[in-house]
Amino acid sequence: MTIQRWLILAAVLVLCLWVLLPIYLIVVSAFGPRDAVFAWPKSFWPVDFTTETVAFFFGAQGVLSGLLNSILVALMTMVMAIALGAPAGYALARFAFPGKNVYRLLVLMTRAFPIPVLAVPLTVRFIEFGLYDTLLGVALVHTALALPFAVLITSSLFLGIPRELEEAAWTLGCTRLQAFRRVVMPLAMPGLAATAIFAFIVSWNEVFAATILSLENRTLTAFLISVLGESPLYFKFAGGFFLIVPALVFIFAIRKYLFSLWGIASR
Amino acid sequence: MAGIRAENIRKIFGTYEALKSVSLEVADREFTVLLGPSGCGKTTLLRIIAGLETQTSGEIRIGDRNVSGLPPRRRGIAMVFQNYAVFPHLTVFENVAFGLRMKRATADEIDRKVRRAAAMMHIEQLLERYPSQLSGGQRQRVAVARALAVEPEVLLMDEPLSNLDALLRMEMRAELKGLLQETRTTTIYVTHDQVEAMSLADRIAVMHGGRIVQYDRPIRVYQDPATAFCGGFIGSPPMNFIRTQPVEGGGYRIGGAAFPGPAAPAGEILFGIRPEDLIVEPESGPGLIDAEVGVVEPLGPHLLLTVRIDGQPARVTAAPDLDIRVGETIHLRPGPGRIRWFDPATDQAIREPA
Repeated sequence: MTIQRWLILAAVLVLCLWVLLPIYLIVVSAFGPRDAVFAWPKSFWPVDFTTETVAFFFGAQGVLSGLLNSILVALMTMVMAIALGAPAGYALARFAFPGKNVYRLLVLMTRAFPIPVLAVPLTVRFIEFGLYDTLLGVALVHTALALPFAVLITSSLFLGIPRELEEAAWTLGCTRLQAFRRVVMPLAMPGLAATAIFAFIVSWNEVFAATILSLENRTLTAFLISVLGESPLYFKFAGGFFLIVPALVFIFAIRKYLFSLWGIASR
Repeated sequence: MAGIRAENIRKIFGTYEALKSVSLEVADREFTVLLGPSGCGKTTLLRIIAGLETQTSGEIRIGDRNVSGLPPRRRGIAMVFQNYAVFPHLTVFENVAFGLRMKRATADEIDRKVRRAAAMMHIEQLLERYPSQLSGGQRQRVAVARALAVEPEVLLMDEPLSNLDALLRMEMRAELKGLLQETRTTTIYVTHDQVEAMSLADRIAVMHGGRIVQYDRPIRVYQDPATAFCGGFIGSPPMNFIRTQPVEGGGYRIGGAAFPGPAAPAGEILFGIRPEDLIVEPESGPGLIDAEVGVVEPLGPHLLLTVRIDGQPARVTAAPDLDIRVGETIHLRPGPGRIRWFDPATDQAIREPA
């Protein structure tokens, strides 16, 4: 083996540890006995597997409703991001229109606005519209966050599907919509699913807007942020664990489609 | 069944005029080939007829209907694409059935028509497969079967054989010809391959620079090209052109031989003759063109000679057993009635006054 290979392996190892070690420690603490988190020096191996901490976490007030809110908001975000993003992506992929490149850039530029700057005007507006402290309000902001990615990812997805397939469908009796449903959709499905899950995770992980724009109906992240400061350490670990798990499960489920997320169409 | 009429079709892409007022009439049950080099507008014309592209001006009629503004699905056409465009997520059966399902045919009818189209293209044994499990040639068969299954009034084919390798192409060409003679579907077929055009067409429309320069039976296009371009584009090797000026007292001298000919419009004329219409004679004599041999290529069925006539390059095909050496001067007799004259300024053929 050459030195270069060793270096690459070492780099891979460091990166993996960088990501996995904290996750591991969180898991160990979440499923260990309560006092173990205070112990010093820490034991690296799990001591006494117990669900006690986790049970306590779920027993705490606001956790279950926060979890439900998080799921609802993420689902709404997912649906809206696909419903708005996929048509825009299709338009970018299939039609030539003036200002196309500028549009493509602008879509991405929306992410350049820091949410803290927008927070106050948004809150004021949301109160006016009656969206403040509603799940829909939070989902709308999350959709805005997920949309640029949804547009760009789906556009590269549709670009990867040859135009001739659609044209062939038209000549065989399809309207544009039928051709999209019967030919483009099935071929784009894996990528669309990946995009949807991506939007789900964007929403699931988002904490700032969710905190600012809600008071009673908090998502899990917003709820945890507001209570973690005063919570015991083991509670924090359990909370951290339940924030990580969905993201991990989803990424594991869609790892196959991650390539299409980065612009390589799945065939 | 229906004929096709394209009237004064113009197509402008931005500032580029791809089609310059093209008119084309294809009779019912006729097989027309649009032939031309890339960029001549042949595919654009086909796509306009299909409704995949919108003409800037002009009118398309299929049968007795004006279809100019109709979407592809309402034109009664089927199309075969250059890259096959078979649907990768459907089995061969579902691919072929696609158009029938869109027409809401009954299950029985679909099954019967799919099997018939599959039998015509010899893909019955592949019906349950997915396109990714097929070779290029098989995919092309699926694409043709899919188009035939809907029994279109008009079949449009866009370079359907160009992605196949040479041997397969020749096989499919003969098969397509047999098949379409049987079904007698009005067909427009786009290709840049002149052999394909000669082989398949009832009539060839030669396109060049956004215009149809000649529209005639293959043999007429071959023997009587309307322009020097047609003579040069069709035939392998292409027609020879020798540029020359009239001599005193009328007529022209080419390679030492005198030929009567039409008046040269601008003091110059192109003398055109096909390589196989120049016959190598053993002895010099009156009316024989002297040519200096530059290259001799024994191709098997014939010798391909690259010669110089009056210092200009020309090609001659000669019998394979002739003993011809490089540097030698040979004597060529133009086949009777095979000399063509062209105006070098306009490219147009000049008919000899009868």
